Amino acid sequence: MIQCKDLTEEASDYLDGDLPLRKRIGLFFHLLICRCCRNYLQQIRSTIKTVKVLQPKEKQTIDTHALAQKLHSLTCKHD
Amino acid sequence: MKINSNNIDEKALIANLINGDEKAFELVVSNYHNLMISVARAIVGEAFADEVVQDAWISAIKALSNFEGRSSLKTWLLHIVSNGAKSRVRRENRMISLDDGWQSISSDHFDNTGHRLDDVVAWEEATPEALLANEQLQAAIEETFQKLPPLQRAALTMYDMEGLKMEEVCNILDISASNARVLLHRARTGLHQCIDKFQDN
Repeated sequence: MIQCKDLTEEASDYLDGDLPLRKRIGLFFHLLICRCCRNYLQQIRSTIKTVKVLQPKEKQTIDTHALAQKLHSLTCKHD
Repeated sequence: MKINSNNIDEKALIANLINGDEKAFELVVSNYHNLMISVARAIVGEAFADEVVQDAWISAIKALSNFEGRSSLKTWLLHIVSNGAKSRVRRENRMISLDDGWQSISSDHFDNTGHRLDDVVAWEEATPEALLANEQLQAAIEETFQKLPPLQRAALTMYDMEGLKMEEVCNILDISASNARVLLHRARTGLHQCIDKFQDN
């Protein structure tokens, strides 16, 4: 029997469609009867979309402009 | 400016790189350097990542004329950085550890049958646009992202932000699909908790 805890743990795989059919159906029926889990799943979906829009970046430790110039000079030498 | 992944644009871009067009270099570095750093940090760690990525860039630029376009420029670059990073870490020293201090949602939230005890209410503002209108939340998401373990960041960046296939993410990071799934779920959960805290305020 699927419980809220299972949904919490499998939320990503459920959204990505990466679960065996049996599990997927079990979660689907749990979602039909559980408002909390529907809200939770919706929040995870919103999180994914928001991160995709925001595109947070790695901390930069080097000057990318200088790197581009260095690579550019490399092709000039190469020629 | 974001590169369109379609082949015609990439062909033109690669031709410009080979011809030594300075702007083309600025463009590829600004589009892909962050992603390459993410992969290198995930495999080789913070200390050597910059060096590994710079070496990867140099090899890539030298090999540009051999690029056949069978994959996108992005995945080609990621494979170069991934191979460089993997050869940098001695294989026997690389253990993928999922023991990264991650904490699942506390079991206090569930009763002993696994049923939720607390009420999960829908977020009042759930669209990315509405959420990101809050600058403090934006900064908090960025900070939370940067504090995630590097493997989680790399899995999230490639899968959720760059739209790479799971199989590709696994190949690049040299991890199993089940580990990649765990990393992705942890990263998403961490960011979800960050956004959720703002809903309480």
